[in-house]
This record gives sequence, C-alpha cells and structure tokens, in this order.
Amino acid sequence: MQLRLLLGFLGILLIFLSLFMLFPLFFAFYYKEDITPLSTSFLITLVVGLLLFLFFRSPKRELRIRDGFALVTLGWITSAFFGALPFYLGHFFPSFVDSYFEAMSGFTTTGASVLTEIEHLPKGILFWRSLTHWLGGMGIIVFSLALLPLLGVGGMQLFKAESPGPVADKIKPRIAETAKTLWKIYILISGVEAFLLMLGGMNLFEALCHTFGTMATGGFSTKNTSIGSYNSAFIDWVIIIFMVVAGANFSLHYRFLTGKFKSYFNNTEFKFYIAVIVVSIVIFTIILRLHIYDNIFSALRYGAFQVCSIMTTTGYTTANFEKWPYFTQFFLVILMFIGGSAGSTGGGIKCIRIYILLKHGYRELLKLVHPKAVISLKMGKKAIPYDILQSIWGFFFLFMFIFVLASLAMTLLGLDIITSFVSVAATINNIGPGLGTVGPAENYAHIPVIGKWILIFCMLVGRLELYTVIVMFIPEFWKK
Amino acid sequence: MKVIIVGVGEVGYHLAKNLSNEAKDVIIIDHDEEKISLVEETLDVQAFLGNGSSPAVLKEAGIEDADILVAVTDSDEVNMIACLIASSQTIIPKRIARIRNVEYIKNSKILSKDYLDLDLAINPEEEVVKNIIRLIEYPGAVDFVEFAHGQVLLIGLKLDEISYGVGKAVKDLSELRNYLKNNNKVLIVAISRDNRIIIPKGDTIIKKGDILYVMMEAGIAKDIISFFTKREERVKRVIVAGDSNISSFLANELDSMPIQSKLLCPNPDRCAKCSEVLDKVLVIQGDITDSAIMRDENIQDVDLFIAVSENESNNILSSLLAKRMGAKKVIALVNRIYYIPLVTTLGVDIAVSPHLAAISSILHFIRRGKVLSVAALKEGEAEVIETVALETSDIVNKPIKDIKFPKDAIIGAVVRGDDVIIPDGNDLIFPDDRVVIFAKKSAISNVEKKLMVKLEYF
Repeated sequence: MQLRLLLGFLGILLIFLSLFMLFPLFFAFYYKEDITPLSTSFLITLVVGLLLFLFFRSPKRELRIRDGFALVTLGWITSAFFGALPFYLGHFFPSFVDSYFEAMSGFTTTGASVLTEIEHLPKGILFWRSLTHWLGGMGIIVFSLALLPLLGVGGMQLFKAESPGPVADKIKPRIAETAKTLWKIYILISGVEAFLLMLGGMNLFEALCHTFGTMATGGFSTKNTSIGSYNSAFIDWVIIIFMVVAGANFSLHYRFLTGKFKSYFNNTEFKFYIAVIVVSIVIFTIILRLHIYDNIFSALRYGAFQVCSIMTTTGYTTANFEKWPYFTQFFLVILMFIGGSAGSTGGGIKCIRIYILLKHGYRELLKLVHPKAVISLKMGKKAIPYDILQSIWGFFFLFMFIFVLASLAMTLLGLDIITSFVSVAATINNIGPGLGTVGPAENYAHIPVIGKWILIFCMLVGRLELYTVIVMFIPEFWKK
Repeated sequence: MKVIIVGVGEVGYHLAKNLSNEAKDVIIIDHDEEKISLVEETLDVQAFLGNGSSPAVLKEAGIEDADILVAVTDSDEVNMIACLIASSQTIIPKRIARIRNVEYIKNSKILSKDYLDLDLAINPEEEVVKNIIRLIEYPGAVDFVEFAHGQVLLIGLKLDEISYGVGKAVKDLSELRNYLKNNNKVLIVAISRDNRIIIPKGDTIIKKGDILYVMMEAGIAKDIISFFTKREERVKRVIVAGDSNISSFLANELDSMPIQSKLLCPNPDRCAKCSEVLDKVLVIQGDITDSAIMRDENIQDVDLFIAVSENESNNILSSLLAKRMGAKKVIALVNRIYYIPLVTTLGVDIAVSPHLAAISSILHFIRRGKVLSVAALKEGEAEVIETVALETSDIVNKPIKDIKFPKDAIIGAVVRGDDVIIPDGNDLIFPDDRVVIFAKKSAISNVEKKLMVKLEYF
C-alpha cells in the first residue's frame, strides 16, 4: 500500500470537497441563516485537506490496482465523514451516526434519510444535503481525475473502481478527458432540468436541489412529502424524464450529443432498460387504474413516476405506495434490484448484468435441448468475453450474499422481516425509501445504531459495486 | 495530437507509453484480448479490440480525425494494409509502418507515392546495424547520437577505474579544459548511474561505472573519447555471431571496412549465401554458444564480439561467454526492452535493441516539423531533442542562465550556420539557431511547451 500517495490524494479530494461547501454557504447567506456550521466545516475540511496535501505530496507515481481500490473506498469514507460535519456541527441530527448516515446516503445517491421534519432545516444545510448527491452521482474520484492529471498512470484503475457497470467505457483516449467530458454532459443536462423545474414553478433553490436529486438518482427532497408536495403534473413528468436520462449510460448521451443519434437504438442495454420501464409502467397503470385511481391519467402519472423513480434507484415519491396493492409493492422491490444502466448514476445490479444473466440462463436451457450446439452469448452483435460473464456471476452471487447477510443482521436487531429485507434492499441498491417501517411516509431514524452502520456499509458497497470495497476485506489484499 | 497505433507488441506498447506520457491522445488497436486489457490497465490510452487492417475497426477507433497512423504489428503485410486502408478511407496526415522485409524497401516501388505512399517505413534491423557500425567506428563510446547533420555529437562514455574524471566533481575537470584547444567546448549533459539518469550540477561527483553523456562538436569526438578512457582504442578484430538478417547486414557492412572480421553462423544455408557475397569477411559455420569454436577463432584477441541471433537468450549467453574467454568488448542484441538494464549489469558491455531503435526513429518522425530530431537514450528514460529556435519561443535573445528551463533538461549545443557552440550560461540563443536539448522523460512535455510558447497551433 502506498500510504503517502493515498493520503496525498485524499488531501486533494478534501480540498475540492471544501470548495463545494461554499455553494450552500451562498444560500445560507442569501436566506440570512446561521452560517457557522457550514463555514466551520468548510474551514476544517480545507485545513485538513491542505495539511494532508502538503505533508504527503509525492512525485507522480504509478498506482497499482490495489492502491486504486483502497483509494476509492477510503475516498468515499472520508468524503462522507467530512460531508457529515455541517449536519453534526449544526446539531440538526441527534448523533454523529445520524449525520454520517445522512452524508453517506447523500454521496452514494441513496436518498435514505433519518429526518422527519425536513422543512425545518435551514436552506443552506438542505442545499449541502442535495449537493452531496450531485457530487456522488458522477463520482467524486472521477471529478478529481477530470481536474487534475494527478497520476502518471493508474487513473483508469480509479475510473474503473468508481464507475458503475461491468466494463468501464473510456469515451476519449485520455482518462482526464473522459472524466471531463462526462462531467460536462452531467452539468449540461442538470442545467436543462433545473431550468425546466423553474418553469414548473420551483424557485432556484428548490429547482437545484431537486435537479441534484434527480440527475444523481439520489432522492433527497427539500419537502417532507417529496415531489408529491408540489402536486404538479408538469414537475412530475419533467422529473420522470430526467430520472430515465440519469439512469441511462452517459457515454450514450455523449455519442448522441456528438451527432451519433442512432447510438441509443444500437445499444442493447439501453433497449432492455427502456423495455423494462415501459412494460412496468403499463402493468402499473392497469393495476392502479383498477384499484386506486379513478382515471387512467392519474394512474399513468403516479405509476410511471414510481416505476421510474425506483427502477433508476432515485427514490422520489409522489404517492404513498405502501397503500398500493401488494403486487405493485413487490414489483417495486424487484425493480430496485434491476437498477439503472452501466455508466449511469443509478445503482442496483444494473440492466446489463440482468440482461446477460437472463441470456445465459436461457442458453443453458437451449444446451439441454441441443447438447452439441455452439451458442455464443451476444450483446447486440458482439460476443461477451468469458471472463466478464464470470465476473457478472461472481457479482450477482456476492450481491445476494451480502443482501441476505445484512438482512439477517437487521432481524437480529429486532426489526420485522419486511423492514429488515427492504431497508437493506433500498440501501444496497441506493434507492432510499422502502417498505414497512422505512416506507415512503417514514424514515430511518428509528433504526438502531448498529443497524445504521450496517446500512451505511450497504450503501457504500452498493455504490462502489461490491468488488472495490469487499476486496479490502480479504486478507490477501493486505499481504505484501 | 491523435495517434493511432496498430499492434501492441514491444514497439507498440513502448511507443504508446512514451506518447501518452507526453499528453498525446493515443488509441491502440490489437486483436489480442490479453494485450488490450494489459494496455488498458497500465497506460492512459484508449484501446480497441480487433484487426488493425479492418476498415470497420479503424473507423471505430476514429481514423477520421487521427493525425498519425503507426502500424507496428509483427506482420509487414498487415502493417501495409492498415496504412493503405487508412488512406483509402480518409486523408490521414502521416502514415508510418514497420517493414522488416528488405525486399519491400529496396527492390520495389510499393512504398512510393503511387502505391502505399508511406511517410516512413521503419526497418528496425537496419537501424540496429547502423548503430553497431557507429559503435565500431567510435570504440569507447557506448552510445552515440548525431545532430545537426552530424555537426554535433552526443556520446555516452562508460568510465572504469583508470578513466579520467572518476572521483572528481564536474566543475573540477580542469585538465579537460586545458586539453581543449581553439575555443572548443564540451558539455556533460547527463550521467547514467545505476540505470538512472542524473543531470549533473557543478558539484556532482563522477563515479566509477558511470556513463557520461558528453555533447561536443563532431570533429573532436575521437580525441575526447580517448581523453576520457585514457586508451587508444581501435577495433581491429570483430566477430559477428548469429543467424539473422542483422548478422548478414552487419557482415556486409564490415566487408568494406578495414577490419578483420568473422561471421559465426549456425545455419549452413546462410553461411553459403554470405560467403558468396562477402570478400573479406571469413564465414564460419557453428553454434554461437560453442566455446570450442570461439577458442579456435582466437576469441581472446577479438576487440568486439557482436551476438545478434534471433534468440536473445542465446545472444546474452554467447556474449557473456565471449567476454569470459577474453573478448575485449561484447555487444548483445536484446529484444525485450525491460531486459536491457539487466543485461548490462550481467557484464555485457552494450545491449542493442531493434525495438528501441524502431521506437526512437518513430518518435523522431512524429515530432518532426517542430522538432528536427529526437533520440531516446537509456530505454527511453531520457531524450535528446534537436529543434530550431523560433523567434516567438521563450528561449531566444536572452542569456541561457535567464531562461526558466525545466529542472531535468539542459541545453547541450547551439548550432548557428556552420558554428557549433557548446553553450554556458552567458551564451545567447538567436532565432533560427538549431538547439540540441537533453531532457529526462519527466521534463519532455515541459520542454516542448517551452519551445512552443506563443507558437502556431496546428
């Protein structure tokens, strides 16, 4: 482990993080709120960052694969720690665990909150809470890669470790350029959404906060009843569209924006992603029309919103879906696991993996019928390399293993089975609201302290796609 | 600048590494999945899996806006086809291919404007032969680069216990200053010690085993070499060992030189062919690691033993054997670039590599236009760049000591018309001077920036 290199890099990360704390400070000034929690956090983060940077600045060195894993995992743990400072210093949360939970939930774009009365919090703090989503969405490490050519080589390791999906897509020859391009697209689409939300009647503060929540597929709102409190069809549809955009692969957006308009339709994962969404919406609309809403438009609007919100792992709500039929509730839990696309800001297992697993399962059946058949697994027109297939199976198993283990641990703490299962599902998939006592109308405040740590771990593991974090727990990782 | 490299062999990999370190956009195409994933993991380049001579793959890799295509697969034919397809699809400014087969280069028009229209055809073997011949002409030097049409030389000198300067600081080499007449100057631009390049300061102490890189006017090179090594070395007897194109080429060259040379080759066919062509060189058929043959051929009186077979392990073994049996100096041909430092610590005096030679000439070519010439030293740890000082650049019209030059780079020579100036801090560089700059790898992109400041963008 090249500890110096790691600490130096963390220093840079903290300096960036501290600079981002200036944005909520602006809103705190504007709304004439107490700025001490934010300004103190800003100073602490900046000073710690500068000290680390100055003491551990080392010449450009090659980063080995393990260093990449350690750096990304530590980067996220540290960011959430310093990101929790404004919450903790302002005494808005009863304990540091709660603050850390909220910050981790922000950075990992989960959107699970321990707050009951969100609207009582100062605007500056709420803005910071949403901003953590936005930073975590495209990746805090990818962000620093974009701004600084920090490492001679090894940037790819970091990029791979942080970006979701089985294969990282390098859209430009250089990693710094790739990172920059992704962030530019992210900023551009965010700008469009914020503008549309303002057209829908939100003020700048609310529009930005909800844009951050949507584009990062996060789910923090500034309202107690989430998007439902606006009760505006326009806002609902804008957010639905941008959730779907955020849950799709950003390199496809890049290709689209550079004039390759067909790129969406040539991409198998995107087609699968859209197909799952459309089919789910149709099913939801029919069922909700029959059981809950008396007209088809409301059924479509609320059904589509919830399907997109859960499938893209955002976690905004416009209706209390716990009052919906059990079928739809369980359907939503399944959508949680499918998740967004690779290379998006969404969480979950990811469409591409589900698609490949389904295809592989079907191939096994075909082989029973035609034992001598040679059937290659294809994505579009390209065969899937065998080692990627293996890594997907490994991923799937580990994901389920951790899910079951964590749920079991939650029941040990005395939680009921639905809450245990769904709270873990909603955090490991980075959704936010679940069912049972963590449903859309409730929050995570009542979960015991140990349970909160377990869920914090689940959020991190889910966002960094298991391997990056879990690999640090095997003894071989630390052996020289 | 966007460079597409087809083929990630030894040459492709190191070329990509060098170019991407210089902040160029590098795209790599290879059909070997393992190589692609290795490249993706270790280099900051974009990699595509596929056949480099396939139009679809080249298109996907972005051939349309590429500036240079470098085809360096193992197959001459694939390299040529890749270049041909690239130019049939789009206008790509520069095409470079590695062509090993001399037939294609010498006796055919295929590379000319009407057919393939290559900008550069690299034959690594020819480059290696050129290198070895220079080492024979200037014994005592382990490295040798020409600049400004041969007016300026950079020579690497390996120092042993009796060499001049060992134990002294660079600023205390007063005998060297007295030795030089007629305002001649030399500049020690770098010292290679334990395979690391050091840019010396006045108080850097020279040690035994160092390789001194000295920049000088071409005319005094032989004097300077014998001054440092304190020997009057002349190569009188040479043995070339190995069954390869290089051994044949080398024997051909040696045939016209006033040197007693022998070619040791295990392959009877090649022996027969060579003896037909060669007049002076004695052809001996035998294994290159056979000590009995070496003894019979008086290996103890040989000044230079050159092992250039296709098998690098055999080259290393046979040159070590020759050294042990009394050959004064041995050269081994090594393909894998990572082996070179290892081989020289084993006791082989000089390791030559066709790959390094190819990389060096490709880099040289890629930078041409702004830069006249480039030579890679020590496995690419350092480069020597020759360029014309532009009126707009930051280095002209002021004393050299006032130029804010990157730390790991040094101006080694200035050529103005026919005059060679080995500069000190008070000399000035004028526009249109040719400047030879020695730079460590880490400083190269900074040096380039310094040269380009306020320069045209293209």
